[in-house]
Amino acid sequence: MFSLMSGLWSYMFSKTEFNVLILGIDKAGKTTFLEKLKTIYSISEGLPHDRIVPTVGLNIGRIEVSNAKIVFWDLGGQPGLRSIWEKYYEEAHALIYLIDAACPTRFEDSKSALEKALRHEDLQGAPLLILANKQDLTNAVSAEELDRYLDLKKLDERVYMFEAVSGYDGRGIKESIEWLVGVMEKSKRTESLRARAGYTPVPNS
Amino acid sequence: MGILFTRMFSSVFGNKEARILVLGLDNAGKTTILYRLQMGEVVSTIPTIGFNVETVQYNNIKFQVWDLGGQTSIRPYWRCYFPNTQAVIYVVDSSDTDRIGVAKEEFHAILEEDELKGAVVLIFANKQDLPGALDDAAVTEALELHKIKSRQWAIFKTCAVKGEGLFEGLDWLSNTLKSGSG
Repeated sequence: MFSLMSGLWSYMFSKTEFNVLILGIDKAGKTTFLEKLKTIYSISEGLPHDRIVPTVGLNIGRIEVSNAKIVFWDLGGQPGLRSIWEKYYEEAHALIYLIDAACPTRFEDSKSALEKALRHEDLQGAPLLILANKQDLTNAVSAEELDRYLDLKKLDERVYMFEAVSGYDGRGIKESIEWLVGVMEKSKRTESLRARAGYTPVPNS
Repeated sequence: MGILFTRMFSSVFGNKEARILVLGLDNAGKTTILYRLQMGEVVSTIPTIGFNVETVQYNNIKFQVWDLGGQTSIRPYWRCYFPNTQAVIYVVDSSDTDRIGVAKEEFHAILEEDELKGAVVLIFANKQDLPGALDDAAVTEALELHKIKSRQWAIFKTCAVKGEGLFEGLDWLSNTLKSGSG
């Protein structure tokens, strides 16, 4: 009886867990974005901007939003570190890809790194959130302009959204994360990852 | 009352303390790193039987750094030092390609330990000055660092005898310990 009740309790009140990859080339603002996320959604303050250094490994952020627990994996974006990205694809429920919208000279590099990631079979069906970051800078291009410039093929095969954000002042972040949680909850990829992990939902009676 | 004020004062203005274990195979350069961090100079060392422990003050953090002997026969005793550890610095001799596989096995065995579940991991790809030393990307691959998904990690190329890369690693460590993992 106790196990039945505790099972029911955990089914009703437990939060769904998601792993979300934060990728982008070096200097796109991934770690600043992650620290801002922590500040917005957690009690703890994220690192101040002047203390953020280039990532040479894995940074982790954990937040709770609506009915979900999200673990963010922020990986280094320097060319020598990008080879490790694909090792994290298989267990990721979704991908956030950051682009420095104020640095057009590196759009091409960003585009090719993203296209390479999207071609990988381990990321098939993963919802994609492309963030035109650094909107606090006056020369930053809009999400629409970036979308047109990138002209990404094959995006119609997956759920995706372009959003203008600033990891510095936080604009656009909440809306982006809320959208992402919504699509992850409905995503076929989430279903298949759950099935692989042996998760069996309790049928509605 | 005095104790209360002391505690309040030190929590606001004082140093955070962190217990750090320096692990790795014998001859990786652990003791050289410890004393380079603590004294800022290279000291001549002998193989560590047991441990060396020193306090390193850096970035408003008082690091209590435990350097444990890395010889095969004393590795089983590492686990005696695991409780209450906030970070592991794992030192690899990047030029010792013959034993990189052993370094990987020992590394992943450490990560399996319950008492180190909450510890962040800093890898020093040491001895970068030696010919044939693997770079950080190659050490990342060899140690299979991609298997780490539930804790923060970073890797730095270091040369303990020249003092290169060590304080960049401590910068990362102090940032990570201050920020937590969300």
